Amino acid sequence: MKFIITLILLFITGNLLFSQSAKKLQLTFNPTFNNSALNLSDSSYTSNRSDSLQIETLKFYISEIELLNDNKVVWKEENSFHLIDAAEKKTLSNFLNLPTELIYNKIKFNLGIDSVTNVAGAMGGDLDPTKGMYWTWQSGYVNFKLEGNSLQNADGIKEKKSFQFHLGGYMKPFYPLQTITLNVTEKDSIKINLDAEKIISVIDLQKQHHIMSPCKEAVMLSEKIAKIFSVQQP
Amino acid sequence: MKKFAIVFGVFCLMLSAFTTLKDQIFVAPKNWPKPVYDFAKNPLTKEKVELGRALFYDPLLSGTNTISCASCHSQFTAFTHVDHALSHGVEDRIGTRNSPALMNLAWHKLFMWDGAINHLDVQALAPVSHPDEMGEKIENVVLKLQQSKIYRKLFYEAFADSAATGERTLKAISQFMLTLISAESKYDSVMRKQSQFTTQEKNGYNIFQKNCSSCHKEPLFTNLAFENNGLPPDTKLKDIGRMKISKNPADSLRFKVPTLRNIEFSYPYMHDGRFKKLSEVINHYTSGIQHNKTLSKPLEKAIILTSNEKVDLVAFLLTLTDKKFLFDQRFSYPKEIFFPKPKD
Ligand code: HEC
Ligand code: HEC
Repeated sequence: MKFIITLILLFITGNLLFSQSAKKLQLTFNPTFNNSALNLSDSSYTSNRSDSLQIETLKFYISEIELLNDNKVVWKEENSFHLIDAAEKKTLSNFLNLPTELIYNKIKFNLGIDSVTNVAGAMGGDLDPTKGMYWTWQSGYVNFKLEGNSLQNADGIKEKKSFQFHLGGYMKPFYPLQTITLNVTEKDSIKINLDAEKIISVIDLQKQHHIMSPCKEAVMLSEKIAKIFSVQQP
Repeated sequence: MKKFAIVFGVFCLMLSAFTTLKDQIFVAPKNWPKPVYDFAKNPLTKEKVELGRALFYDPLLSGTNTISCASCHSQFTAFTHVDHALSHGVEDRIGTRNSPALMNLAWHKLFMWDGAINHLDVQALAPVSHPDEMGEKIENVVLKLQQSKIYRKLFYEAFADSAATGERTLKAISQFMLTLISAESKYDSVMRKQSQFTTQEKNGYNIFQKNCSSCHKEPLFTNLAFENNGLPPDTKLKDIGRMKISKNPADSLRFKVPTLRNIEFSYPYMHDGRFKKLSEVINHYTSGIQHNKTLSKPLEKAIILTSNEKVDLVAFLLTLTDKKFLFDQRFSYPKEIFFPKPKD
């Protein structure tokens, strides 16, 4: 009996200790267009190149989230794969469980899915192939998906054209995985902006309106998109 | 008391030996290389294999509910398409390639004639989504499975949860395919010294080892590599093989080396099903090789065979037929699942 009581006591104190030694960091991805919240049903966006456009899909994988103090990794998320979908608000925020005394000044993550995971077979959760981010005719995850319509002047006539950018691939030389490192300060939350207008402005929609398989263009565009992520902290 | 303990101990040991034997669903044939499939990530169970078998035979996986995996991979032809050079899918649409025979897949690393698929688990996504094959979305398949009474029960038995997910569905299909082992042909029993080749077969085996086995490597009868065996490219299909995936010109016209096990029944032959008879295949190797840039080394030198030797070679190839595999009840249409006998 005494033994059981001790056990219970141990359990409670352990739990208390544990809950005290962890804190939550809210990591939010914030898709924007021209610095205001991205609206997927707004068809009157304009960019510097096309007359007007609409973003219908903005979806991407974030993986291997780490916190760094200068250049030293001080925390690493286990099993770190997150599908961020601008159409599903609840996917935008994730809570990271950190020890209280953690000192860090950088966040690091991958944009996309690494090649080892890409050849590891069927997986669940955010990696489940029903999430619409898996190629079927050729194995591999789509790291980043941007789809929409644009109205363009073609020979003086306005023409509605759809665009699809599916960026992915796991075999060199067409391996577009990007690692992004951003400076942050220790707060309860980190907000990371991704501005769709900036993405559109690095693509010439007149010339290129889709990428649907692993290729050189996918790698180049992924490199450009990686540079557009920016931190916003109050 | 002591005596009892010993007896009890021995009994327990026997019991555990018995259960491990019984539980082993996947047994690699003796003296075969190690399988490449990572069973730790998807341990086989009887229930999951059964679920996979049901899925493999179920037209529910297609957009029109008419085509199942077995429509193009039927057991009696070593799980290839009966009699069609190019596979036929939903609404009788014709694909661009011949369906390969399916067996011993636990040893394969890449799938499809060009290696487009990198893991057995994700293989099923390709035919399910292909507009000329099953024309369905995996999202819809999972929805249909979640709504089906039969599958809610099968998923519950397999995963202790009746809800289908993409991962579970795919892993179950893999499990069934992993059990498709063919290693009981006459060739195998000769290798195990349980029977003997005829003189003709023996002669054919020697010819085979000299000319064919570098690519059709024993015991799988494939080296699982991508090779160019000198077929003149089909000008209509313009299939460049492995290069389609690797984008490397050195891979042009290279295709995954198919197994020759059960070759008697898996006609028509080659990625486009161009040959109907084994004699045509052999004539290709002796007099039809096209010497293009990427032709594989072993075929650079001409293979010269007399007509008797050709007959002997075919006789050997016929020893690769595994009747037990072709008629194994465990691999056939699961009527007991789809049409259970009423309890009396
Ligand atoms: C319409 C016909 C058709 C249907 C239906 C079909 N397949 Fe296939 N299968 C093919 C063809 C054709 C290939 C070769 C394709 C290629 O190389 O591009 C193939 C290839 C394969 C391979 C690769 C074998 C190897 O050695 O590389 C596997 C495994 C396979 N199919 C399993 C399945 C499963 C599981 C299903 C059901 C979910 C299925 N197939 C449904 C025609 C079909
Ligand atoms: C350089 C490697 C290589 C050598 C040597 C070779 N093959 Fe092949 N074999 C292949 C490849 C690759 C294919 C598939 C080609 C395709 O479909 O484009 C194939 C296909 C076949 C097929 C058709 C299998 C099917 O299921 O469609 C048969 C039968 C066959 N070979 C028999 C032989 C015989 C007999 C020999 C020896 C005389 C031989 N091969 C030598 C590489 C080779």
